[in-house]
Amino acid sequence: MIQLNNLTKSFTSKTGKGFKKETVTVNAVNKVSFECKPGRIFSLLGPNGAGKTTTLRMIAGIINPTSGNAIVDDVDISKGNEEVKKRIGFLTGSTGLYERLNPDETLDFFGKLYRLPEPSYSERKEYLFEKLGINEFRKKKLGQMSTGMKQKVSIARTLIHDPEVLIFDEPTSGLDVITADSIIDLIRESKENNKTVIFSSHIMSEVDLLCDDLAIISKGSIIYNDSFDNFKKDMKADNLTQEFINRVKEA
Amino acid sequence: MRDLFIIVKKELTELLRDKKTIINSIVLPTLLIPVLMFGGIKVSQMIQESNQQKKVQLGLVNAPQDFVALAKKDTLNQITTYTGSEDFKALIDDEAIQSALVFPADWQTQMDSLSTASVSVYRNGTKDNVNGRVSKLLETYSAQLKKKRIALLNIPTEKMNPMVQNYVEVGEQKELIGKRVGGFIPYIFILTMWGGCLLAAIDLVTGEKERKTIETTLSLPISKFSVLIGKAIVASLLGFIPALLNLTGLIIGLNFIDDIPDTFKLALTEMLSPQSITMILLLLIPFSLFLAGLIIALVAGATTFKEAQSKASPIIILIIIPLVMALMPGIEFTWATVFIPVLNIGLGVKEIMAGTINIGMYTAMLLSLVIFAVTAIYFSYKKFSDENAILS
Repeated sequence: MIQLNNLTKSFTSKTGKGFKKETVTVNAVNKVSFECKPGRIFSLLGPNGAGKTTTLRMIAGIINPTSGNAIVDDVDISKGNEEVKKRIGFLTGSTGLYERLNPDETLDFFGKLYRLPEPSYSERKEYLFEKLGINEFRKKKLGQMSTGMKQKVSIARTLIHDPEVLIFDEPTSGLDVITADSIIDLIRESKENNKTVIFSSHIMSEVDLLCDDLAIISKGSIIYNDSFDNFKKDMKADNLTQEFINRVKEA
Repeated sequence: MRDLFIIVKKELTELLRDKKTIINSIVLPTLLIPVLMFGGIKVSQMIQESNQQKKVQLGLVNAPQDFVALAKKDTLNQITTYTGSEDFKALIDDEAIQSALVFPADWQTQMDSLSTASVSVYRNGTKDNVNGRVSKLLETYSAQLKKKRIALLNIPTEKMNPMVQNYVEVGEQKELIGKRVGGFIPYIFILTMWGGCLLAAIDLVTGEKERKTIETTLSLPISKFSVLIGKAIVASLLGFIPALLNLTGLIIGLNFIDDIPDTFKLALTEMLSPQSITMILLLLIPFSLFLAGLIIALVAGATTFKEAQSKASPIIILIIIPLVMALMPGIEFTWATVFIPVLNIGLGVKEIMAGTINIGMYTAMLLSLVIFAVTAIYFSYKKFSDENAILS
């Protein structure tokens, strides 16, 4: 379960030249509230620069909110980032992999830091490697892999500690349809296992395929938050993409 | 502690799989001093040999026969006799001759009357080899003439030498060489240490941003402080190891390179005793952490390798100036200099190698370096925790 209450993030920057400098504060995320329930897939949609990544980073404990709070799997993020991080699997476009390590070493590194007990860790690793088809390149350095191979390893490292909360930001971006399908399958499996999943994508067909609840964020504020069924019922445009564009423009 | 060990292991594995790091932090530092020693000795030997085989073109005016005979003894001297009206500056500039010796026309008369005659030497001051050989020739000739005069005047030789200086060296050879050479050793290993720390710190912080892994690292269930300390330890190790390899290279060089003068070799071997090496290495541990912390604080906000280099590189001036000062005469290891970073290492290492280090001052220097290291780590943590800087 994830609960966000008036979560706000401000960034302060200095502008100007020489000694004349002005401090400018911008609210990247402004009083965002929503709830993601276990066993459901929550889609957070928004155009580039809307505040999606900042929101997800706050939930994952990577950055601290300026005000408001978030409860992740019964842990208040203000009480300690490490506890939150243990409960989350975080995968975004900017969570790259260590290119000089191979998949085995990468998962060992994560497994040790998540303090996973040995027999169950090895079982989990082998299951994910089998499921994602990583076995054939498990000893190859990540720097020598294709985008698809890297993304498979990224998914495996996100799921290695079997987290209660999963955050996927464009997980199928740049992948071939077969790889994308195996990832979609894993997300569905997480839902079936009663995990809380936040899924963000620009591919509306995937949203249509996976989404249970939906929020649209624009210019740092939530402009829509309801179930996906209600969203589809209220649709005025012919397709999801057009409806999304219209709603962002209207906001 | 367990998490820190995991981070250090992973960062080291990653860095040591990078060819650039291996070359800069392992191969070059190990080979640097032996190559410099071997190369320096060989090059100076080659220059000396080649100079000895070079011909010297001498122009002579009114030269006495015995001088001409002495000059001709060295078959490499090519002699041209002039009348004295030539423009010797032009002849030397045109490289027709390299030096001209103009004896007075009444040379023999002056010699017979036992008076002092003047010989004009035309030369180019930049030609050290030619000038050295001409001076040596004149000195030999002057000594011959003096000997003849002493014999002619029937003066016992000892009466012409009223004083003989006997130097009794009370300082140990180790102290003498330590104070003279000791300053150059930190010069070499502090620079390689800087290079190692710089490369590693940039790779571990800015490199992570460029490779888009910084967010992955920050999503791990460990504190930013542990991540930062892990990176600082690895960066300092990659600075410390080259310095250690420099010293190893020096010891290898001393043992395997011939042609090093025995007294120098013995003194250096004595200077590099386990005790002095331990004392030097103890200083380098906090110093490498200080460098790592300082560089991480500087590059934390950089988004590219190039930007990080331009931010951190100017600091090299703050390292070179104190090192050069440590080589200057008159600047000593005192309570005034013991707390100045880099300068204290430069001066302290000299004292350690000379065997004259004051243990109280050494402890104070070590403590000051620890304080500097802690301060630098604190600032690097502040910068590393700055969300704007680290996620930019």
